Amino acid sequence: MFLNDGSGEGLEYFSLDHAYYKHNLMQMQKGKESMSYFLKFLRGKRSSRFHQTSNNANLQKKNMEDDVLDSDLSHNTENLQLLFSQAPDLVIRRFPIAASKTEAALVYLPGLTDKDAIQDYVLKPLMHSSFDPNKELPITIGKIEMVNTWGQIENAILGGDSVLLLNGQITGYQLDTKGWPQRQLINPQNEISLKGANQGFVETGSQNIALIRRYIPHQELILKEMTVGIRGKTKVSLLYLGDVASEDVLRELEIRIQNITVDAIINTGELIEFIEDNPYSPFPQIMLTERPDTAATQILQGRFVIIMDRSPSVLIAPTNFISFFQSVDDYGSRWLVSSFIRVMRFFAFMMALFLPATYVAFISYNFEVIPMELLLTIAESRIQVPFPPVLEAVIMEMILELMREAALRLPTPIGQTIGIVGGIIIGQAAVQVGIVSNIMIIVVAVTAIASYNIPNYDMSSSIRLLRFPMMLSAAMFGVVGIVVGWMTIVGHLVSLESLGTPYGTPLAPFRFADMKDAFLRFPLWAMKSRPKGTGAIPTIRQGRNRTKR
Amino acid sequence: MKKYAYNEITLMQYIFLINGAQVATGVLALPRILAEKAGTDGWIAIPIGWFFSVVASIFLVKTAERYPDDTLFEILIRLFGKIVGKVAIIVYMVYFAFYAWIIFVNGSLYIKAWFLPKTPSYIILLLFSIPTFFVARNGIRVLGRYSELSFYMVIWIPLFFLIPLRDGTWLHLLPILKEGWKPVLSAVPTTVFSFLGFEVAFFLYPFLQKKQHAVLGITIANTLTMLFYVFVTIVCFVYFSPDGIIDFNQPVLYLLKLIEFRFLERFDMVILAVYLIVVSTAWMPCVYLATFCSSQLLGKQDHSQHVIILLLIIIGLVFWREPTWNESEKFQQMFVKGGLQLAFVAPPFLWIYSWIYEKLRRRVRH
Repeated sequence: MFLNDGSGEGLEYFSLDHAYYKHNLMQMQKGKESMSYFLKFLRGKRSSRFHQTSNNANLQKKNMEDDVLDSDLSHNTENLQLLFSQAPDLVIRRFPIAASKTEAALVYLPGLTDKDAIQDYVLKPLMHSSFDPNKELPITIGKIEMVNTWGQIENAILGGDSVLLLNGQITGYQLDTKGWPQRQLINPQNEISLKGANQGFVETGSQNIALIRRYIPHQELILKEMTVGIRGKTKVSLLYLGDVASEDVLRELEIRIQNITVDAIINTGELIEFIEDNPYSPFPQIMLTERPDTAATQILQGRFVIIMDRSPSVLIAPTNFISFFQSVDDYGSRWLVSSFIRVMRFFAFMMALFLPATYVAFISYNFEVIPMELLLTIAESRIQVPFPPVLEAVIMEMILELMREAALRLPTPIGQTIGIVGGIIIGQAAVQVGIVSNIMIIVVAVTAIASYNIPNYDMSSSIRLLRFPMMLSAAMFGVVGIVVGWMTIVGHLVSLESLGTPYGTPLAPFRFADMKDAFLRFPLWAMKSRPKGTGAIPTIRQGRNRTKR
Repeated sequence: MKKYAYNEITLMQYIFLINGAQVATGVLALPRILAEKAGTDGWIAIPIGWFFSVVASIFLVKTAERYPDDTLFEILIRLFGKIVGKVAIIVYMVYFAFYAWIIFVNGSLYIKAWFLPKTPSYIILLLFSIPTFFVARNGIRVLGRYSELSFYMVIWIPLFFLIPLRDGTWLHLLPILKEGWKPVLSAVPTTVFSFLGFEVAFFLYPFLQKKQHAVLGITIANTLTMLFYVFVTIVCFVYFSPDGIIDFNQPVLYLLKLIEFRFLERFDMVILAVYLIVVSTAWMPCVYLATFCSSQLLGKQDHSQHVIILLLIIIGLVFWREPTWNESEKFQQMFVKGGLQLAFVAPPFLWIYSWIYEKLRRRVRH
């Protein structure tokens, strides 16, 4: 996709590019060089000499990748040493097999493998027990695969498996001895919930899949695996309900993920940037979560969960605007209470977006709206302040953002000092000196509290960002500026799409049925159907669960 | 083979698109104009105007029904051939562009009068054009969503018109038909024009999901508009004295001035600012349709550049010559004459013409 832009030039671009065309390279070698030269020139590449050399280097390696193993073990180990010549941590353990005295070699990277498993279940039985070498090997490990090309061996070793090579055989054994450093399952750090589960996702993709499978032990929970990144080779897994989730969305999602051509993706946030619909929008279009229960709920609603290996948060797509205001706790508490909290969240959204802007507009333009007594109070508080209201507001909001960022980045014990410095020193002293007014401090504080009420961090950050253009527009055009700003946001939200499904639903293509879980949270037995916005096919998700007693 | 399959709108969006295109700044002055012509009986003229617009709307839908996958663009070319059809399309394009311009100008004038008296009009239009561009560069579906959501967002405004009724005198309305039908009928042309805007349905029909409800939808849209007009007019007549109402250029705005809360004085400022959303649902379909016509004429799929050009032309015109209320009213008269032809005469004409055309074509084929 972005390859065709023709804008990227230089080293990185080439290495990427030619890796992308790896499979074509063999044919290009066979006398088509002049043609490919021409084509490359047409695509806008100038330093073709470099390109050519890099091609050749990769070609040799490519040839080796497809080569099969030799029957001579010494030759194979030499080859391995050549292949991993820059990896001194590679272990090649040569030993005679106890029963037949055949030479064998076990190859692995010690940091990525489980040493105990290798010692107890691979080396010990092979070296000490007596067995018939013509029958199966006495390796007591669950997953064993046969490998026969160097490419497979390289991938297996780099992926944390160990490879057993036997003298006189042209196939090796790939043994699943993965055991890289791992973290314990702990409480989700960023999405705190009172009643939800206490296990959060971790950095290992297979464990994350297992966490979701625990919630939906059903055969229709389908797993699709893809690999993203030429160097990173990240395993990306799609999880969805095969008989529920929309096929169009699935196709779209698969195409978008497969089209990514990149060195490596480190974080799920990066993956989002490659697959989202509108990269210029301030709003998040794909949700990130680190809670398995949230992910499972979303799968059951007909959405897709994208798990990326090495990343402790998973993606949920397609999403809509409203779903960023739903949290797990809503479904665990009594519905009246959670409806009330939902309404409060939307109220908080409006406050976070509009309160400073409204203050600026009312104070500097349309002060006739404010009743006299209140206006006097405000005027009294502002009497010493040398700045116009908008500057005052922007300064205070900026300081608030700086404090938030500082508190986030500092180590926890020092982080508390930020609160003291910010709250007491800046807040009180600034008012006393007369740089800002008391009212402004109240406005900023209320805005901050409101913006942290939104359960999703990404959504709350984008709202905090949008506050600034709103303030400027209010400073320039008063109430009209706010209304036009609101119209712009609505117009943008209405035109956004998340993987081809409308982002504004159930509001913008108004769906009455989906409103049950929007501003209010209806009782669970009343929500008989899945949300239509996801394109889910069987819409009924429960029967009559409410009986009159 | 559906050309517009990916841009379907629901019935509700269809209703609110039409209703949104009809209700704009016209209603602000409507009670005064009616009072001038027919006194406090003027409100009776609104249902009569509604009747005409519903009849024209039904003709319009029936014509479109014959060619369910075509917008007006294809219908005109099919019926009149390439040259005449394209000329007719240009007429519609100019009409919509002009319509958009008038609403823009009226919107900026009332914003200028109430909020930003010193800001030049073209800056206000520049401000308006930001959300317009965001919405109008997309397809009809986004427009439909915008109109629908806007309708729900402003549905609370009429409630505030009930507050002045407290101090109103219902006797102003009595006796009904005090001077006979003649003054009422003289006010009908004005009310007919206030329903202009339903002609956008010509372009909406192929996008509609449930085409069997098209007639119902357009009737509901017209009825919603009619109810709003009647409601506002009656509130004005009840509140203002029959002679006093003529003194106010836009009585509806003065009506709102009375609304006051303890925590918020001059609540009318808030309502008026929010009313801008209502006005925007009128100009957005017009901007879209004008650029839709122009891009179809040039054979382009993407019309977002045309939106920018149209907005720049509108802003440029206003920059070149800043119109006043009176001038804008003059232009409106001109526009209304064109609207009479394109919205009220064209649908029955097209309906009869296409009927004859289909008959003849069938005969030729046999």
